[in-house]
Amino acid sequence: MWTPSGPRQPLFSERGSWVRRLVIAGFVLVALCGVAEAGAIAVVAHPGVEVDDLSFAELRKIMLADRQFWSTGQRITLIVRAPVAIERTTLLERVFKMSEAQYRQYWVAKVFRGEATDGPRVVVSNEEAVDLVSVLEGAITIVDAVDVPEGLKVLRIDGHLPGDPEYAFN
Amino acid sequence: MRRWVLLLVVTLVIASAAQAADDPDQKSYPSLKIGGFSDFNFFASEEDEGDRGRSGFKEGQFVLHFVSEVADRIDFFGEVSMTAREEDDFKVELERGIIKYTHNDRFKVSFGRFHTPINWWNTAFHHGQYLQTSVARPAMTRFGGEFIPVHFVGAQAEGLIPSGSHNLKYIVGLGNGRDEVISQGGDAGDVNSNRAWLVNLSSKPDYAYGLQYGGAYYSDKITLEPAPGVFEEYDEAIVSCYVLWNRETPEVIVEYARVEHEGEDTGESFTSDAYYVQLAYRLPQLNSKLKPYARYEKIDVDEGQTVFGALMDRQGYLGGLRIDVVNLFAVKVEYRHQRTEDDPYVDAVWAQAAFVF
Repeated sequence: MWTPSGPRQPLFSERGSWVRRLVIAGFVLVALCGVAEAGAIAVVAHPGVEVDDLSFAELRKIMLADRQFWSTGQRITLIVRAPVAIERTTLLERVFKMSEAQYRQYWVAKVFRGEATDGPRVVVSNEEAVDLVSVLEGAITIVDAVDVPEGLKVLRIDGHLPGDPEYAFN
Repeated sequence: MRRWVLLLVVTLVIASAAQAADDPDQKSYPSLKIGGFSDFNFFASEEDEGDRGRSGFKEGQFVLHFVSEVADRIDFFGEVSMTAREEDDFKVELERGIIKYTHNDRFKVSFGRFHTPINWWNTAFHHGQYLQTSVARPAMTRFGGEFIPVHFVGAQAEGLIPSGSHNLKYIVGLGNGRDEVISQGGDAGDVNSNRAWLVNLSSKPDYAYGLQYGGAYYSDKITLEPAPGVFEEYDEAIVSCYVLWNRETPEVIVEYARVEHEGEDTGESFTSDAYYVQLAYRLPQLNSKLKPYARYEKIDVDEGQTVFGALMDRQGYLGGLRIDVVNLFAVKVEYRHQRTEDDPYVDAVWAQAAFVF
């Protein structure tokens, strides 16, 4: 194709083809990192919660309301995603080892026995979850790590944070 | 002037509404929630009155459950049942009425009418048939039964004991104990000046998720009136223990209880035992809706005992299938092969639809 100043130069020269390949590889690498980070689940709590690290067993007891208070005496407020969300599925499959039906029956029984007055608060988005956790003292939830805003407390699980190789929710 | 007052009032109303909208945790007390359980049955049994077998539809209990946050850390739990009776009417009963203060995980105190925490089944399943796997409760913990005191009127303290991964929980109770009709609790006062007391310890260890075990000790003085104006008193001691694995793949429940009675005047002592073993397994097929189960149970009443009126030796087994048709609605089909004393075994089939509403 001719330009007013002469024929159009090819976009990449022979040496430029290597540059192109490196640029494309770089974009792919960045994209893969982004996908991996989006899959990490973080356990977040209200900034006033005086806990930085929970064992996996302790997390289970808290999310099943077998433990209902932080050590400071502050009541724990549970916030969970509505069904089908990956965060809820992670809780059911990896923490509770329950099906959705078993989880519902668990909470019916919990309230019926007088062990709790209500089930957890159910939210339909991670934005709603982090909004509530940031204002409700004692609140705890699990969300995608990329949705955790500045200032919210991310709890270590067995000493590990999202992204650590030994993190429980990798 | 009036205009400024009106403007101030409107401003205050709008500000209150805005504050309520901005505060997601604003609670109003009391906050009453009502739930319900019920069931409907069909049965066919060789047990009969006279020479006829018995079969037919049977209304299960209609149960209303009340939960209310009365104030911060003070809650009320209530359970009212309506039971069809052979007299062609319904018996209405306050099964549980409990006001509870929760200080923290280690200390909660409550007052009212409880299901006695003398064994696991009695506090796990209450009057909601939907929650239990089988159609029938084990004979040792049957409502209206005499073996253990199913209801307890008094006070109870409970909480977690710092115990690391063992997750120990305690319950201590003090109450009225059994009434003159020993299948009933002392709702209108104790029949004697001796309060019943109990201690319950249990564990849900971290190292075995799904495992739970525990035991209880109960002590009371029973006063019976076998004839008008004639009173007999017995010291009662009940020891129980249980172990269960409740992950449904499998579900294993084993409970045992021993009841000892000693006559205060006669010095005679009687010891009766009961136990059951229940197995179940939720199958993966059909979206895990099917859970077959089986149970063996036995009650061995001390011969010559004079405390239990209608209670007799009982043993047998049952097997069935629970189908969780949809969430909170289950159908159960159960076959029973049981006998009383040395009588021949009696067969029965039950079908039940149990649900939450």
